[in-house]
Amino acid sequence: MDSYDDRGGPAGQPPGAGIAGLSLPGQLTAVVVLVMVGLLACTHLAMVFLHVAPSNTITKQHGKAVDAWVYPEFEQNWKLFAPNPLQQNVAVQVRAEVAKDDGSRTTTGWIDLSAEDGAAIRGNPLPSHVEQNELRRGWDFFVGSHDDKNRPNGLRGQLSERYVRRIVMLRLENHDLGGSVERMQIRSAASSVAAPEWSTEKIDTRPVYRLYPWWTVNATDLPRGVRNGRTEAGR
Amino acid sequence: MSGRPPVSGPLDEQPGRRPAEQPGEGSGERSSGPPGERSGERSGEPLGARSGGPLGERFGERAGERPDGRPPGARTESKPLFAVERRAGRAVQRVTATALGPYQSAVVRIGFAGTWLLFLLWELPNRRELYGPDGPWSWDMAQQLIARNGAFTGLMWSDSTVWFEIVFAVAMLSSALLLVGWRTRTMSVLFMFGVLSLQNRSIFMGDGGDNVIHLMAIYLVLTRCGQVWSLDARRAARTAARRGAGHEPGAQGARDRVGPLLWGCLGVFLIIGTVTDRVQGAPWLPVLFWGVWIAQALWWAANLYAPNGQPRALLNVLANLVHNAALVVIMAEVCLVYATAGWYKIQGSRWQDGTALYYPLKLHYFAPWPELSGLLTSSGVIVMLLTYGTVAVQVAFPFALLNRRLKNVLLVAMMLEHAGIAVLLGLPFFSLAMIAADAVFLPTGFLRRLGGEAAGLWHRLFTQDRKRLPEQRRDSPEQPARTLVG
Repeated sequence: MDSYDDRGGPAGQPPGAGIAGLSLPGQLTAVVVLVMVGLLACTHLAMVFLHVAPSNTITKQHGKAVDAWVYPEFEQNWKLFAPNPLQQNVAVQVRAEVAKDDGSRTTTGWIDLSAEDGAAIRGNPLPSHVEQNELRRGWDFFVGSHDDKNRPNGLRGQLSERYVRRIVMLRLENHDLGGSVERMQIRSAASSVAAPEWSTEKIDTRPVYRLYPWWTVNATDLPRGVRNGRTEAGR
Repeated sequence: MSGRPPVSGPLDEQPGRRPAEQPGEGSGERSSGPPGERSGERSGEPLGARSGGPLGERFGERAGERPDGRPPGARTESKPLFAVERRAGRAVQRVTATALGPYQSAVVRIGFAGTWLLFLLWELPNRRELYGPDGPWSWDMAQQLIARNGAFTGLMWSDSTVWFEIVFAVAMLSSALLLVGWRTRTMSVLFMFGVLSLQNRSIFMGDGGDNVIHLMAIYLVLTRCGQVWSLDARRAARTAARRGAGHEPGAQGARDRVGPLLWGCLGVFLIIGTVTDRVQGAPWLPVLFWGVWIAQALWWAANLYAPNGQPRALLNVLANLVHNAALVVIMAEVCLVYATAGWYKIQGSRWQDGTALYYPLKLHYFAPWPELSGLLTSSGVIVMLLTYGTVAVQVAFPFALLNRRLKNVLLVAMMLEHAGIAVLLGLPFFSLAMIAADAVFLPTGFLRRLGGEAAGLWHRLFTQDRKRLPEQRRDSPEQPARTLVG
């Protein structure tokens, strides 16, 4: 296997290589394969093109065929910072209702998880996906799979809620909350990026909050390694 | 949140991977109102036309003109009546006789294998959080999503941590071996397995960089990317040198023990996987796995029993055809990336008013060096020039392929911009991946010089003077014949 590579480039080519060096049946096979491979490549490129192109006459009629070809492995999105770059910092903040060891309950202040990501990224030449993508994209996923009234749309919505809870619980593990988290509430704070100093634009940079309902934390919300204060409580 | 102006998430990237689960979803979870309904700017029309051209001739022209660094001036002039036919004939001969762009495909291989390897090494401490069965995106959550989107991942075969560690190790090992070109084709398949397994397992962890690696990992399987700068090529050169000028290609197969062993082991896995119905995912994937596996056996047998026979010649032709088509797809894919990125930007008000570049630099998630970003954004004129420059380069790139010199200038510009993005936006792996993709358009002359320098450096640093000549020689005297090719 792989011995074709042993051919070592041109040196290994037998004389008369290529289609000219083949017998007639071989040539016919080669031509058939040439046509098939050519068609396949063209079709693939056409499908990928239609996938990245804006909605248009063809995709309105044959969108299903394009999707069937492209998904799941050839999906792509190259609208990098387009049509407009994101112009606000979206922070995910959480507060927790903690059951203390003595049986009392307290509610923490707002903990800014995105700010923690930001702090981890600052001064870091090689930010990890854990810092740069996990919460950021997880939150996008959550927002994108919920409607305006904050109802999850189907499986993706439900999965995204659990995903966000699990990320939060993982992050809260690093905070000493003095007990186990029973419930949590999340809010997002979107603050517009200030206008450039050389610009005359006026942009209100005060954060716009969006508050989400309290969630009860249960066992499925705990990634492994997250003790949620229980062992400490036992000690 | 819904009332926001149309904005796009930075680099968002492998979005949900869910086709038509619900309207409007699927591509770009967050890029809210992309230019959806507008059909004015059909970004890729020229592109589509371009990439849709007849394979042979297009490729002949491409290969003659760009990657190899020589203008296609050497074409013979023939009688006008037969000129077309002769050119077509020559093109067919060319795409069947040679796997074009040996240096370009090798640099793409090295670039992507290296990027993925570095990424995996860097994320080693976080691997379980990112892809492990008990990470925030847990195994059974992934299971539910994958059951619906049908993506391929070996990580769904078991929820045990041991299996996860095995797959992760395979991903790292195959990247390293693909990088050095050891059993290149086999490693490319394992590399694809690793990439798809990890990325599809946790799709919400990825970004644009992962997305390019994902695509290229698939395309690379179809290329002969180990023709140069690989251990395979070195082994071949040594065998050939040992045999002197009149070498027989077949005899190497006879002495090769590792190849058949590797093939056998992977075959067992493949059979088990197929019988237990584990090779799920897109229907073409099992076809690809089995196809490569069977092709390897045929190639091995042809080399062993009839090294100069017709079957081997035919297999060689078929492999060249597939390689050349895959290389065209890789090139076109890079063009699609830039065309999409560029044309969509044109429609954005921030790209129009020349301030767009300022904003990503002010996002906390993309600001590893706020002071540096601040320095760059302190001048409105510079921001505006960079903003316009970015769009111009991205939109122009596919067309610049028609002119070699312009193409090279834009290529340098794009690589520099990606280097800048790596530092300023803290996206080193994304940038590395994009540079690796760009590299498919580097001229052969440059690549060979680069290879020569690297070899020389290696030589000076790590080897005394022993006889490393056979492989050295490979890169020089033989090559002139090669330059026209790719």
